[in-house]
Amino acid sequence: MSRQQNNRAGRQIRGPQSALTDFLASHNISANQIRLDADARRRAAEQENGASSSSNQQQVAEDEVGESSTVTTSVTVTTRTSRRKKDQKVIDKIKASKTYQKRKRNAGEDDADDDLLDTLLRERAPLPGQMDNCANCGKRFTVTAYSRNHPDGGLLCSPCGKEMDKDAPPKKKPAKRAATGPVGRRRQIQSKILDGTFQLGAKSLMTLCIETLAKNIDLAEDLGDLPQPVIDKIARKLSKHRLLNPTTLSLFLQPTADEVCIYDGAKLSADDYIRIFQTVPGLKRLKARNAIHFKDEVMDFLVSRKTELEDLYLHGSNLIAEEKWLEFLEKKGKSLQSLRVYWTDKHFGDSALAALPSSCPSLVRLKACHNQKITGEGINHLAQLHHLKHLSIDLRNHVHSDVYVNVLSSIGPNLETFSITREIELDNTVLDAIHNHCRSLQKLRITDSDVMTDEGFARLFTNWENKCLLFVDLQKCRQVDSANPRQNPDNIGLCDRGFKALMAHSGRKIQHLNVHGCRHISAKAFEEVFPSDGKKVYPELKNLEISFCEEVTDFIVGSIFKCCPNLHELNVFGCMKVKSVRVPKGKILVGVPNALGMVIEGVDDDEE
Amino acid sequence: MDATNGNGGASKYITLVSKDGFEFVVLREATLCSDYIRGMLRNNMTEARTGRCELQDINGVILEKVVEYFHYWYKYRDREDVPDMEIPVENCLELVVAADYLGMDKQV
Repeated sequence: MSRQQNNRAGRQIRGPQSALTDFLASHNISANQIRLDADARRRAAEQENGASSSSNQQQVAEDEVGESSTVTTSVTVTTRTSRRKKDQKVIDKIKASKTYQKRKRNAGEDDADDDLLDTLLRERAPLPGQMDNCANCGKRFTVTAYSRNHPDGGLLCSPCGKEMDKDAPPKKKPAKRAATGPVGRRRQIQSKILDGTFQLGAKSLMTLCIETLAKNIDLAEDLGDLPQPVIDKIARKLSKHRLLNPTTLSLFLQPTADEVCIYDGAKLSADDYIRIFQTVPGLKRLKARNAIHFKDEVMDFLVSRKTELEDLYLHGSNLIAEEKWLEFLEKKGKSLQSLRVYWTDKHFGDSALAALPSSCPSLVRLKACHNQKITGEGINHLAQLHHLKHLSIDLRNHVHSDVYVNVLSSIGPNLETFSITREIELDNTVLDAIHNHCRSLQKLRITDSDVMTDEGFARLFTNWENKCLLFVDLQKCRQVDSANPRQNPDNIGLCDRGFKALMAHSGRKIQHLNVHGCRHISAKAFEEVFPSDGKKVYPELKNLEISFCEEVTDFIVGSIFKCCPNLHELNVFGCMKVKSVRVPKGKILVGVPNALGMVIEGVDDDEE
Repeated sequence: MDATNGNGGASKYITLVSKDGFEFVVLREATLCSDYIRGMLRNNMTEARTGRCELQDINGVILEKVVEYFHYWYKYRDREDVPDMEIPVENCLELVVAADYLGMDKQV
């Protein structure tokens, strides 16, 4: 290659010249000459040191040939390093000189020049595939593309390279959070509005502390004597960030506690659940979500202990066999007051419900959510639970309305919560049963009924001897008929009369109302219930969801804010007629169907 | 020195005294985020008259952080986009206890 370049120089072909070549030329230094000199120097060095070994006359390229004797190797190494250092000094001196800087600035060149300078004035490193001596341990090794550089120059063999990497781990770029920057921050604010956690002003001190604690939870050994509500908040925060594991679980198992809430038990094993019962002997209330490993063996352990559970909340424990459930209810059911079972699909079924009246006489609260095994037969047994106050059912099997009528006629008067979710064929007979039997109801939820009519709802709420309901959720009780998309001739679902009757009955005390999807409630009904002059006031109403009620307009939203002084959150997803309404300070409007989102009254666009 | 001015109205600042005797002067309004202090500063209490609250259960280092929070909260009280205040990890647990004691866990 050098020969070819010599020829080129001889032919006087000049390409575009870089600032560096220019500079060197002005000092009567030829780049070619430097290269030739370097080669010559190297060859001379080899000849000096090559006297003791045999095949060291390789002229082919730029490579350092090692020696067998260590003395000469070390001499070569030191010569090489000292020469390297000398060259580096020369390079630095040239770079620092003012004329070079000036020329570089004028020519506008980039760092390519620096690299060229380095390569020319320095001894060239061996190419991949050739042999070299390790700068650290001196062993011979084959240079590859991955050979690491020694800080003093030179290359390292692969063991030394690995060691160096281990000592100085590669710099990890801190993960760029999605919430930084103006776009990220706006998204965070919108997300908080949807969550319902949005507020003006700074976070509370408690929240800030708990967030710091959650971030550094691995440094904490013991939570000390914090009061129960604070521990609960910490548990929630940890679970949210999926930091609850066997180690951090120990922070929450205080021997004197009577309540353990595990909001995310996904990382806990069966032994951990057993540990809970061991560490907290006086446990009365257990809540475990995502408690996948709460298996038969844990149930066995629980049954064998003296722990008298009053409240059991299990979510996702579908590895517990049916016999184990029956065994648990039989042996531990006496003290059980509240049983809430979520997402246990196949094993908690009619037999368990059948066992309830006999084994759990003091059962006050029962909730079976997202269950595939319970059918009408099981529900029928509930009629014998005379102390039951809170009943909440969300099944995947169809249960005929007659079953519910039967249950209501038996235990209706005591019921405070009645919640049937996603029972599509639930009909007016159930509403009439509620009207006739329920006297202390506070929370009512009936969703997704395609059959109930407005007339039924009106009958329920008119002249009903029940006191005001606090929580009403009648979402998606509407007509679902593709043949009749706009008209609703039979008035299926919650419509004007039912809505007006509902608000007339419970408006004084109602706190939470959800009529999501009841799209046949007309604008007139809304305006009657929420008059714009504020004549009717609903002082307790805090959460109102009127999403997909298509007749809601800006005017109605404004009137709602006037009539509900303590309203905290109003949800208007899918109400396409809501275009631009100013939201009073302190209130949240969720679901405004435009890109601007919620606009708070009195906030200028110019203000930050 | 009495904290009331000539008109007999309450002064703008109050003094918080820690367990170990450190005193911090804070804007009265800034302390309204703490239910406990707000209760102490009601009309007929001694603290309301003297403008001086003694907090027996909180030590100086923690009270300093609490006072810093007061000013941070006061500064950002009507803003939408608020940067979080730094909480040092070593004081975190004690600060949680103090926050719970002073009733500073709700949004005002």
